[in-house]
Amino acid sequence: MIEHLGPQLFNGLVLGAFYAIVALGLSLIMNLTGTINMAHGSFMTLAGYLAYTMVLRKIPFGWALILAPLIAVLVGIIVERTLVRPLYKREPFYSLLMTFGLSLMAEEAFRLIWGPNGVPFSPPPALAGAASLGFMQFPTFRIFIVVVLLIAIAALALFLTRTRFGLRLRAAVQDTEMIAALGTNTQVLYAVNFSLGIFLAGIAGVLAGGMLGLSPTSGNNLLMPAFVTVIIGGMGSLFGSIIGGLLVGIAISMTTLFIPAASEVSMYVLMAIVLLVRPRGLFGEEGIFG
Amino acid sequence: MASDGVLLEATGITKAFGGVRAVDDVSLQVREGTIHALIGPNGAGKTTFFNAISGFAFPERGRVTFRGTDVTRLVNWRRIAMGMGRTFQTPSIFPELTVDENVRLGVSAHAKQAFRLRAPRGEAKAAVDGRVDELLGFVNLIAQRDRPLAELAHGSQRLCEIAMSLSTDPVLVLLDEPMAGLAEAETDRIIGVIRDLRVRLGLTVLFVEHNMRVVLSLADRITVLDRGKLLADGTPAEIAANEAVRSAYLGEGVLDHV
Amino acid sequence: MTARKELLLSAAVVVLFAFGPWISPLMHLDVSIVSGVLVIAIAVMSVNLLLGYTGLPAFGNAAYFGLGSYGAALSVKYFQVHFAEAIVIGTVAGLLGGLILAPFLLRRRGIYFGLLSIAFGQVFYFIAYRYTDVTGGEDGMQVPRPLFVLANAHATVSDFGFYYVALAFFVIAVIAFRTIVRSPFGRTLIAIRQNEPRVRYLGLNTDRFIFVALLIASTMAGLSGALSGLLINFAFPLQLDWHQSGYFVLSMILGGAGTVWGSLVGAFIYVIGNDIISTITSWWQIFLGALFVACVLFFPRGILGTLQALGRAPQAFGDDDVDANAAFDPNAAGEAGRGV
Repeated sequence: MIEHLGPQLFNGLVLGAFYAIVALGLSLIMNLTGTINMAHGSFMTLAGYLAYTMVLRKIPFGWALILAPLIAVLVGIIVERTLVRPLYKREPFYSLLMTFGLSLMAEEAFRLIWGPNGVPFSPPPALAGAASLGFMQFPTFRIFIVVVLLIAIAALALFLTRTRFGLRLRAAVQDTEMIAALGTNTQVLYAVNFSLGIFLAGIAGVLAGGMLGLSPTSGNNLLMPAFVTVIIGGMGSLFGSIIGGLLVGIAISMTTLFIPAASEVSMYVLMAIVLLVRPRGLFGEEGIFG
Repeated sequence: MASDGVLLEATGITKAFGGVRAVDDVSLQVREGTIHALIGPNGAGKTTFFNAISGFAFPERGRVTFRGTDVTRLVNWRRIAMGMGRTFQTPSIFPELTVDENVRLGVSAHAKQAFRLRAPRGEAKAAVDGRVDELLGFVNLIAQRDRPLAELAHGSQRLCEIAMSLSTDPVLVLLDEPMAGLAEAETDRIIGVIRDLRVRLGLTVLFVEHNMRVVLSLADRITVLDRGKLLADGTPAEIAANEAVRSAYLGEGVLDHV
Repeated sequence: MTARKELLLSAAVVVLFAFGPWISPLMHLDVSIVSGVLVIAIAVMSVNLLLGYTGLPAFGNAAYFGLGSYGAALSVKYFQVHFAEAIVIGTVAGLLGGLILAPFLLRRRGIYFGLLSIAFGQVFYFIAYRYTDVTGGEDGMQVPRPLFVLANAHATVSDFGFYYVALAFFVIAVIAFRTIVRSPFGRTLIAIRQNEPRVRYLGLNTDRFIFVALLIASTMAGLSGALSGLLINFAFPLQLDWHQSGYFVLSMILGGAGTVWGSLVGAFIYVIGNDIISTITSWWQIFLGALFVACVLFFPRGILGTLQALGRAPQAFGDDDVDANAAFDPNAAGEAGRGV
């Protein structure tokens, strides 16, 4: 069992990176608009299926990895604009109900289009093997996933801390009215922010499709750990989402190794402990770039 | 009760938001039976300081003592039970309820009726009714008692909020900018009520205001904040003569009139 | 609107339902579907108390509901308890779930309360899902309906008999619910929804009120779950899932948030509608999703709430407790909700 510890820890980190990136998207949307996006998982699944179809049509995986999330973003912008935005000034649970309804419809639509049972979506041959790092073998595709997710997180951090627009976005999270007074177009801000969240979800959806399989509910399966991640990291903190995601990933992979039946429950235990010690989550007060 | 008549004492209160110190090492003493004004230009940290005193948000550093007890980290509702009452800059009321119901909620809460499954009857009901009448009479809202608060003018909402804050029998009333956004006639009404709080009810008042003229005519003691720091503290005459205050308020021309 | 008129209208509804087993065949409905309406209405009430009256986005009530169902099923399977005991055990299981989760949920308000409810509610789902040896895992557990035993007499509970059990519990629940929301305690909950900081600045510990509201809600949801499980002789993980919580919230909004009888109306639409749609199409999930979307966009006040707003409602139904649209203060969504 101990010999599995290293690989399983690595798996935990990969899983954690997924949770982190999904949680980041959720946090972005939640922080600015107060919307818990229950359809977040659907956007992941959508991007996954789109990439699957693209690869079937001989579009290289690398392109699918970019294009599929972009199409998901396009759908996201339309949905945000027409259905979700009118709810921002209403009570937050209405947008929760709305996105919940959308996710139900999306799930059924995926079933109708791509079949109820899921589809085999394997990584391209170039990424299929394993790389040896001397002491341990790592599947190449998982290393690729970690690298892509790290780049995405780094790019997001740079965008939020180094660009004018990113700084405005962060300021808007603190005080939407102030930004309106400064003349920043809040409508554009909402759209860009939502798109960022969906784009991250899309990338995660494509990569997770290749690693964990693709089915009408596969995105939703990542949603609950992502909620737990947001809570553990501290609601409102983007940095917290990253740390929280890694913690949840490691907790799940370790319990899967030692007590498989408790693999999901472990993250709730972790969440309860964190909340008992820090009621606002690990970085709930002030995040590094939130 | 604290000796030498100090009802509320704040020492070295500090609170920062995102690296900016909204309140920086501010201290103040409110003596029993006084009308004490906290004044300063916009962004001086008055409301932040007020929130620390009333337990809406805890300060990062400093100490708040009320009736001789350290209340720095005491939850807000317990401070009310100890005898604090507070109003907010934007009246914090139940707009859909009538004036009567608003005040009644407070009176019932204080009479320990709020947690029950049965409405009070008989003597208990009479006691609540009597107290509601008394409070509405004090702020002169008897005529409007059955109207939803949302329909009333801003000034009347303020008065109702003051009546609500009195419903818990406080000894110290904290009023956050009670005159903000009011027309002159309404301002005079509020000024009258604040005077009455001391004269008729024997209460201590700490209020926030940015209009120096109002403050000089109403307060026994004035504390001036500027950009989060304590600028001056003294009697109205001392404040009017204070050079630092004069320069902070320069251009407003207010002090020349007194 | 007199108390007398309200009583008469309420009695009329109960009498109408008393003839349910004879009316339902006329509408081509199985009597157990109507039992389902009455049972689910109790769970919808539990959401109504938290969301409609207190303003807390209760998106985790399926946890207590499912605990009720599993509590009843497990006790029947492993301890061979009888009908009445199974109901009591299921209800207590819901209450215990509330006791465990309330201390965590209490700390936050607004969407954060919603997020915590969803996340914590799901823990029981995974336990039922994974603990296959005991709970049957994903397949759930089929448990035959236990006998009703009183002293030495015992009887099987037919679907016909179950209907009246469900009706009796529904009537008790409605009376209890109405008593609670019209009491000083209930008025304080409504005040918390409208302006929690003010309630705290009236010297009340709002956490204590919310704690009790959570316990009442979890007990009601537990009762509903126990009855629901016994009705279909089945306990399964999806009863604990957050989707189920969402269906309760939808039903509550459909019926009318913050109205006593809205829960019954909402449960009626949800249960009957689901039954009809799922028999005519396999795409029922699309319809259900569309119902969510349409409800939010066009019908946020729900049926009784809308009737009430039009001023046409007999007031026993569109009762005066809450204006559903004004029910939730968006500013209370964040953490400023209560100060510290």
